[in-house]
Amino acid sequence: MIIPILRLGKILLTSIQQELTDADVLQLQSDLLRKVSEIEALGVIIDITALEVVDSFMARVINDTAGMARLLGAEIVICGVQPYVAMSLVEMGRDLIGADCVFNLDQGLKLLEARIAVRGDAILSLEGDEYARNDRP
Amino acid sequence: MTTNSLAPIANLLQQHRVAICDEWLNDIMRIWEHSHAGLVDKEEVSRQANDFLKELAVFFNSHSGEAPAEISTNSPFGKIACELSIERAKKGFKPADTAQYIITLKNVLTRHFLRTYSETPVDLALYLRVMNDMLDRISLLTFEMYVETRERIIAQQSLSLSELSTPIILLWNNVLLLPLVGVIDTVRARQFTERLLEAITRYEANVTIIDVTGVPVFDTSVARHFMKVIDAAQLLGSRIVMTGISPEGAQTLTKLGINFSNIISRATLRSGLAEALLLVGRRIELIGGVRP
Repeated sequence: MIIPILRLGKILLTSIQQELTDADVLQLQSDLLRKVSEIEALGVIIDITALEVVDSFMARVINDTAGMARLLGAEIVICGVQPYVAMSLVEMGRDLIGADCVFNLDQGLKLLEARIAVRGDAILSLEGDEYARNDRP
Repeated sequence: MTTNSLAPIANLLQQHRVAICDEWLNDIMRIWEHSHAGLVDKEEVSRQANDFLKELAVFFNSHSGEAPAEISTNSPFGKIACELSIERAKKGFKPADTAQYIITLKNVLTRHFLRTYSETPVDLALYLRVMNDMLDRISLLTFEMYVETRERIIAQQSLSLSELSTPIILLWNNVLLLPLVGVIDTVRARQFTERLLEAITRYEANVTIIDVTGVPVFDTSVARHFMKVIDAAQLLGSRIVMTGISPEGAQTLTKLGINFSNIISRATLRSGLAEALLLVGRRIELIGGVRP
């Protein structure tokens, strides 16, 4: 199953709407990273509002993806963690999701924009970033 | 005559030097013509051959007794042999070619000896033995010098190659750039770490950008080298910005459990530069228009 990855300027948004198999999660991970690198994204939002259950594998992959995206120079925010999901994740181990979590998409965007504003490369997107828009060689 | 029993060889060498030299050159040029056309300068070779024969004569004149003395690289004679060998090595001759050079002389001299001393077989035997012994030693010497020279050339090349591949660039005041290209091994890692730390101290770099766009693989050992250089640079007081990690590289690093949490990482050198400049309180601005 292909999870759509949406682009909002220099921010990538992906929303997981239903239960995913392990292979799907890994596919999402590599798609997301390729896209981050391709457009030189400054921020990534992963929305899991619709998920009632998050297993430990998925939690770890999300956590790993956050680390990988950070290495590629993007800030990452998880939004919409449900109360039951939060409880079970804490039961499984505190460090399962190390990225920052917010309530909803709106707050996620605000947080990312605030973070991007203090970055040095934010200026690149102000200049009209023609290189990143095309596929890089 | 003195007691020097080898003086006749010296005499023969002096008297027939031109003839011997010509024969030798003809033989050797015939062999080299195929393998090294264009590489040999006939006049140069002829001059060297003459010098060589002169020194050989001097040697036989001053050394009496049966066994020739040990040939050291310091003797004038040894020096010529070394020069020959070194030059051939630099021109890319094979070691066998250098040995061939001496062996050809041996054949020429043997012919001359047989012609001149055919009436005194006892002397002839002695001369041949001494001459053979002598030239064998020289061959060994030239071979040794050849190998030594080649090794020195290889060492120099690998040194200059590794320096070429890791330049350290002062990108802006207090901003250094270390662009890494190619496979990182322990030797290279240690070398660029040393040079980077020296450069950081010398330029008092507040920020160091390490660009890894050209590094093809990230594995545990490469990552470990990076951790070391990052830790060391941070101990000196320089911030590290890492740029150019590929999506695959990022995946590998994270799977290895390395998150580089204490550094700033950016996808491209472009973003990294903007970040580095911000860290030293500067930024690049659009001023409009294009200068001719």
